[in-house]
Amino acid sequence: MSNRIYLLPLWIRLWHWSNALLIILLAITGFSLHFADPKLPLVEFALAARIHQIAGIALVALYSLFVIANIISGNWWQYVPKPPGVLQRCWIQAKWYMIGIFKGEPHPYRVSEEQNFNALQAISYWVIMYMVMPVVLLSGLIFLYPDFAPDRLFGFDGLLPVAIVHYITGAAIVIFMIVHIYLGTTGSTVTSMFKTMINGWHEGDH
Amino acid sequence: MFINWRQILTRLLLIAGIGGGVAWTAHAEVDTATIEKNRKANEVCFTCHSAAGIARPPKAGMDMSKLKDSRVDTHVFNGSDHGVMDCRECHSKNYYGENYPHDPAGKTATSPCTECHAAKVLRLEPQFNASVHAKIQGVKEKFTCNTCHNAHVNVVQKRLKDPAKIVAQDNHGCLECHNSNETFAKFAPDNEKTPGQKKIRPDIDTIHEWLPNAKAHWKAVRCIECHTPEVAEGKMLSHEILNKEKAEKKCLSCHSSDSSLKTRLYRHLVKDEQQRLGFTNSVILSNSYVIGATRHPLLDKAIIGLVLLALAGVLTHGVIRLIAALRRKGKKQ
Repeated sequence: MSNRIYLLPLWIRLWHWSNALLIILLAITGFSLHFADPKLPLVEFALAARIHQIAGIALVALYSLFVIANIISGNWWQYVPKPPGVLQRCWIQAKWYMIGIFKGEPHPYRVSEEQNFNALQAISYWVIMYMVMPVVLLSGLIFLYPDFAPDRLFGFDGLLPVAIVHYITGAAIVIFMIVHIYLGTTGSTVTSMFKTMINGWHEGDH
Repeated sequence: MFINWRQILTRLLLIAGIGGGVAWTAHAEVDTATIEKNRKANEVCFTCHSAAGIARPPKAGMDMSKLKDSRVDTHVFNGSDHGVMDCRECHSKNYYGENYPHDPAGKTATSPCTECHAAKVLRLEPQFNASVHAKIQGVKEKFTCNTCHNAHVNVVQKRLKDPAKIVAQDNHGCLECHNSNETFAKFAPDNEKTPGQKKIRPDIDTIHEWLPNAKAHWKAVRCIECHTPEVAEGKMLSHEILNKEKAEKKCLSCHSSDSSLKTRLYRHLVKDEQQRLGFTNSVILSNSYVIGATRHPLLDKAIIGLVLLALAGVLTHGVIRLIAALRRKGKKQ
């Protein structure tokens, strides 16, 4: 049975694509800066540093707006996996990704206005947006204002732990992005979820 | 840089290989008794040429304001490389003693640095002559070693050890002129566009606008890391100061695993490099996190491995999905 509902208001779609653009810019320039090497010319270093700073500050502003808009609109509730049976629903969803999808089985959950995401989606989005993202942004801000970093730590520059945390959390977001883009093709058709993210309408058999 | 007959003689002796006996005055090489003797002798000079002396003139009616340019911080001087020496080694003996205030000529009656540092000057002079300070007409003549290297303050890199202190000391030498209109004007050449007027000091922030995090750089590295040409490993930094057109602008010369900081600011520490906790360039990391230079190869491999694993995972999943979908389609038909 076809399911057509208006799922995503304009502000979420605008936030999503701006967020995506900034993260892609930050990932490319961050990679260029960290793996800087004359034998591996990517984005020119000074340019990469400028873009990374500007995009980073823009992402901090965008994230702040996202949090405020989530609180005002009540959208934050979508990210909370609702009991009972959260673990069981996660397992059913994982099994569908591992086995059911290859057999052409229908999606194991039905999208509704009340529940946009499946349990695995809700948990992973929650972890990325409310745990990883604040850490990567905060460590990035300390990078920008290194006077806030400890002066020295274990005989090294105090910026080192900040840099490592920024690197690991940044990489976690890149890995999330790769999987997220791919799972975007697992809708009713390969492109249906991307269309939803553009026009806001969910269409499909789940 | 003036040359007198004694310098010519020293140079000839050096060339002939007999004049190597320059008077090294590093702290470690001067015995305690000599240091004590010299410091006792210097107290006579510091009666006037110190903050305490100026505050409490030894004689009534002395105009101590004349000493504002020849005041020495005794504590700093004693810790400096020349702090083990008798003032009279460099300043004329003719003005020593209690017959003060002495003739103002004493201020300029100073031995040239080549008296002791002949071999070094011989090696560095061609570099200095190629430097921006020597190439601008009317500026070269105003320069002595002391213009950049304060003989009453400076400590050699090897003895100072801490890179942060080296940066503060060496950048002070540059910024004393390049961040002060008053001092810059003393050396400034004529303005090319408006003859008869002195060149205006370019604003240091404006000319470094291209450099990301300029202020963070100035705390962490010296001006000369970029404003001198690269030298071979183990060699002393060049005295050829480069202007803004010729200065290093390739960030990667420092921000890469083969960072030139190893042969520059950290050259005295590089022999201690032990890749602490597995970090590349851990001697640099002891003072500064330099993105691109201070990496952990194992962490990099783990991160790249995880990203590749994610890519390979979704690619494999996608291919299997495609094959499964095609097979289902085939069966239906």
